Amino acid sequence: MPIRVHLDRLLLERRMSPSELADRAGVTVANLGILKTGGARAVRFTTLEALCRELDCQPGDLLAYEPGPAEAPPDDLL
Amino acid sequence: MRALGQGSVSSFLKIILDVVYVSLWAGVGGLGLLTLAAILLSFDTELLARLVGGGTAAEFALRGPVMAGGLLAAGLYAVGVLVIVDRLRRIFSTLTAGDPFHPDNVHRLRTIGLALAGLELVRYLVWAVGAWLLPGVDKVEPRMSLTAWFSVLVVFVLAEVFREGARLRREAELTI
Repeated sequence: MPIRVHLDRLLLERRMSPSELADRAGVTVANLGILKTGGARAVRFTTLEALCRELDCQPGDLLAYEPGPAEAPPDDLL
Repeated sequence: MRALGQGSVSSFLKIILDVVYVSLWAGVGGLGLLTLAAILLSFDTELLARLVGGGTAAEFALRGPVMAGGLLAAGLYAVGVLVIVDRLRRIFSTLTAGDPFHPDNVHRLRTIGLALAGLELVRYLVWAVGAWLLPGVDKVEPRMSLTAWFSVLVVFVLAEVFREGARLRREAELTI
C-alpha cells in the first residue's frame, strides 16, 4: 500500500503510548495496530478526526503518499 | 421472527438439516450393505433364489447385476444428496452464528451447485444405461428438468452474491 501512516513518529513526539491514544480517540488497540502496520484498507473521517484531535496534528502529518507497487484487491483473496 | 442468530429460523433449519444428515448417513450405509450383499449373493444365484423366492436361479442370474447396478446408482445419488445437505448444514451454522458472509460459504455454495448438476447428470446416465440394458422397460422417461438446471444456475449466482458479500465484509473489517 503506497499510503504510509506516521503514527509511531507522532506518538513518539507527543510522548504518548498507543493504548493511551486508543483510549482517548475511542479506537481499539488492535485497530490502531492495523493502522500502524499499514494493514488498513480505509480510514473513517470520524477516526481521522479523533486521531488528529488527540495528537494535535493535521491529516497530512499522519498520512503520506509514497509511490510503490499496488496491493492485490481483496476479492482476489477469496 | 429473526432470520439469523441463535434461536432464529436458521438455527431451527440447522437442527432439521442435522437430523436429515444423520438419516442420510444411515441410508447410505444401508444401501452400501445391500449393494455388497447383492454382489456377493450374485455369485450364488441358487442361494439367492432360495432366500428371496419368486424365481429360478437362472432368472436371478439375469436380474442380479441389474439389481446391484440399481443399488449402486441409488447409493451414488444418496452420496450426492449427502454432500448437498452437509454443505447446507455448514452454511446454516454460519447463519446461526450471525456471520452469513463467511468466506467459506462461497465454496460451499459452489459445491452445492456442482452436486446438483452432478445429480441431474447421474439421472440421465442411469436412464441411458437402464434403457440400454433393459430395452423393454420405459417406466422412467428421460425428461430434462428445467427446474433442476434453473436451481443450479440460481445457486451459482448466489455463490457470486456471497463472494461479493465476503469481499465487503473483509473491507469493513479493515476499515478503521
